[in-house]
Amino acid sequence: MRLGGRWTLLVVWLVLLAGVGVFVVQHLRVSTDLRSFMPAPTTPDQRLLMEQVGEGPGSRLLLLAIAGKTDQQLAALSQQLTASLRKDERYSQVLNGSFDIASLDEALLPYRYLLSPTLDTHALDAPYLRDELEQRLEDLSSPAAGLLKGLLPRDPTLEVLKLAERWTPPKSPEVREGVWFSAQGEALLLVQTRAAGFDPDAQTLAIDGIRQAFDALPDHAGAKLIVSGPGYFSVVANAQTRGQAEWIGRVSTVGFILLLLLAYRSISSLLLSALPIASAALAGIAALVLLFPQVHGITLAFGFTLLGVAQEYPIRVLSHRRAGENALQSVRDLWPLLLIAIASACIAYLAFYASGVNGLKQLAVFTITGLLVAGFSTRYALPHLLPERVHDVAGMGWLVRARRWVDALPRPRWIPVLVAIATVLMLVFARGAFWQNDLAALTPLPRDLLQEDARLREALGAPDVRYLLVLEARDEQGVLALSERLEPAVQALLATHAVDAIELPSRYLPSETVQRARQQRLPDRPTLERALSDAQQGMPFQAGLFAPFVDDVQKARELPPLTEERFATSPLGQRIAAMLVSRGDHWVGLGTLSGVHDVAALQSLAQGSGGSVRLLDLKETAESMVVAYRTRILHALLAATLLLVVAITLALRSIRRAWHVLAPMTLATFLVLAVERVAGVEVSLFHLVALILAAGLGLHYALFFERDTGDAAEQRRTLHATLVCVLSALLVFGMLAWSSIPVLRAIGLTVSLGVAFHFCLSILMAPHARQD
Amino acid sequence: MLSLCANASAPEEAATARALVASLGRPAPARTPFAEARFMKMLDQPLVVTGELAWLGGDRLERRVDHPNHEVSTIADGEVSQQREGREPRRFSLKRAPQLQILLDSFVAMLGGDATRLEQAFAIQYSGTDAKRWTLILTPRDPKLVRTVSRIEIEGAGNEPHCMRMQEADGDLAVDLLGDLAAKMPAAPTREALAVLCRGG
Repeated sequence: MRLGGRWTLLVVWLVLLAGVGVFVVQHLRVSTDLRSFMPAPTTPDQRLLMEQVGEGPGSRLLLLAIAGKTDQQLAALSQQLTASLRKDERYSQVLNGSFDIASLDEALLPYRYLLSPTLDTHALDAPYLRDELEQRLEDLSSPAAGLLKGLLPRDPTLEVLKLAERWTPPKSPEVREGVWFSAQGEALLLVQTRAAGFDPDAQTLAIDGIRQAFDALPDHAGAKLIVSGPGYFSVVANAQTRGQAEWIGRVSTVGFILLLLLAYRSISSLLLSALPIASAALAGIAALVLLFPQVHGITLAFGFTLLGVAQEYPIRVLSHRRAGENALQSVRDLWPLLLIAIASACIAYLAFYASGVNGLKQLAVFTITGLLVAGFSTRYALPHLLPERVHDVAGMGWLVRARRWVDALPRPRWIPVLVAIATVLMLVFARGAFWQNDLAALTPLPRDLLQEDARLREALGAPDVRYLLVLEARDEQGVLALSERLEPAVQALLATHAVDAIELPSRYLPSETVQRARQQRLPDRPTLERALSDAQQGMPFQAGLFAPFVDDVQKARELPPLTEERFATSPLGQRIAAMLVSRGDHWVGLGTLSGVHDVAALQSLAQGSGGSVRLLDLKETAESMVVAYRTRILHALLAATLLLVVAITLALRSIRRAWHVLAPMTLATFLVLAVERVAGVEVSLFHLVALILAAGLGLHYALFFERDTGDAAEQRRTLHATLVCVLSALLVFGMLAWSSIPVLRAIGLTVSLGVAFHFCLSILMAPHARQD
Repeated sequence: MLSLCANASAPEEAATARALVASLGRPAPARTPFAEARFMKMLDQPLVVTGELAWLGGDRLERRVDHPNHEVSTIADGEVSQQREGREPRRFSLKRAPQLQILLDSFVAMLGGDATRLEQAFAIQYSGTDAKRWTLILTPRDPKLVRTVSRIEIEGAGNEPHCMRMQEADGDLAVDLLGDLAAKMPAAPTREALAVLCRGG
């Protein structure tokens, strides 16, 4: 191509890239909800699990501890922080152990007679009032007098305190200086965020809000604020993943550039060979933007890593340039093989698409688009831009020696057999579980953070994150009534210590039926006034002292029953809102459990209900999801393998040649699996994904080594290209293997091992070398 | 008499008060019978209880009521627990009971003979009528406390406190007769009768 034409092509290409770039920048919406990397739920339990994981009351709970000062100072900080956070829209509930009557707001105060169970066993008649008033006299002469004096005229039966007692978390921590304290002497707080637990961006805002509020307190200097909980973990995990991915990305990019400069000694070749990759990345993102409303941040991070495969295409072209031959000619010679390589990589990535996980689907779309664009631009655009005169790598002395050494390697036929036997033995004798089913094992969190969380959770008596009682009924009232019917059985379970505490929705909000029944038992004004005056006979209370009480009871008689919707407007009502969930055609109530000792007893409680009550084991459900998800991936893989065998056999038009390509690839794949198993690695989904990626790379090596050109110089070029590819893959994935994040490490380690094994086996099992 | 104490120079008064408080100290556990009358706005008659107050050492105080009902309240580690016959114990924070905080501050400092602590918590006004009879008027320094309890007057003779009057900001008044004087609590006390008892007892 003429020089002018070459420049025109370059400019057109760059303008095109810029155009796609602008489109992407304008339309790309990155999401950070980690749930898109979890398998899609299929059963109702799994759907509930996913909701709970992201939005359930447990996942939105942050546990706070303030340490480093005297009890008194910490208690003051705890009170000030609570006051400041309660004013903030971002938090639906802030608890620090001090009961605040204000949390049941003024307008809802008369509801205490409908919410408290007192009226179920007593009527507000003269004998009951007499007994209560006698107790109040005792209270007034006791140290608690100052505490109750203000309440007395409005609430002589102390209904507010009875409710407060009923609503304190069942296993609450020690109260010192009026607030919760841990055994380690930290002031403890519970904060519920409005943001979903697994939305790291929203959680970052919520946690920053807490830190800012804390830093704004006048006496915070010297005190330390510890934050824990699922929301905090998602923030840490997100920051860590992002931080490490960026760091690793930078180091491997620099290494990669150095490697290419060393290999081809041409800056222009290097810059030009970046064009197909840049096009691939931009086209991949553009495809995501067009197909999905939001693109996950992790898709982008992993996607760029996986596109590393596409770097092979320009590398092959550069290495196979012959002195004096025009680039187009070199590409034409390589294209059939490159096309097989591209097609087989796309087939392998199709397995991601079949996984049913939204994040992996996006990953598949991104990589397949990217690979196609990289491949076709390498074939049809890049060769026109490459410089005419090139440095033929085939003449390099070290390469000649290396090829001679490689060719001289002994290739006894028993090597593959031996490797196969060793692989089988390693797989058979590896200890420990084969599959990693625990989603939590992939959580990239330092152990001490998890231990601290467990400690705070225990100290705060925060509900178990594993078990939930699920109550189902047609409507909200049905759920509440079901919850009320369950209460006696729950009390029995508590008595036998099957579980330390169970919180049911009806504990906070009785059903309308129960509220109406209590309302009916409230006396009218004359009756109550008469009963009160009878009760007060001979007591020193001043006449008319209890008028506010009589007024409240009259108000309570007229009130419409309290609903979840009305209750949710007050701070305390947020608790009940989190326990009642509308699921379209029916309602679900969630009962939280603390300190589960006897799962079987809880299960029999559920079985006795005829299906309306279930014990949801979040861990087991999560594992069942992982198993189902893995089965799907394994099926997809099997299908992809068959497709691959057919595609390669057809492409090479020879079963024997296909065997030479596929045998080393298959053997190396199982060898990686065997080595990891012997090293004690439990195989997770991410290992499987990485095995596919490595197999895709291995296929390239095997394809090119298998190619019999009968030309020693061409064989040297093949070795050169493969070495550059292997080194660049080892560079990128070897870096990932050092990551402290289990997911990145799983991918890095597996691909690095894979690349090494695939390279060695495809050299040792290359057919024509043996014939030499 | 009043003019005499008003004329006493401040440093001298403070020194006498310190010496007095130091002389009140005794080893823990120190116990004393008490009889308390509470005059409250919401009640037509005062509430009277009798029992025993005990300083258990440190910041621990026990208030045992024997009549008319049995009840034991303990203050320890910033928390109050209240045990009544046949009922669940009630627990609450000292923070929420300012009267108790003041009782603790004054009582522990006196029985510990700890003048410094007393001065930290209260502004002290001392007046001695003669060598043996004295009055301490304590005004809480904490602005939050003074909003509930405006002052405490302790009257005594020699190294024995006889009487403790807690004046609450809302007008309610609690009078505690201590030691031997406790037995002299009238069945239907009035503020005036108790004032006489404290002064002359």
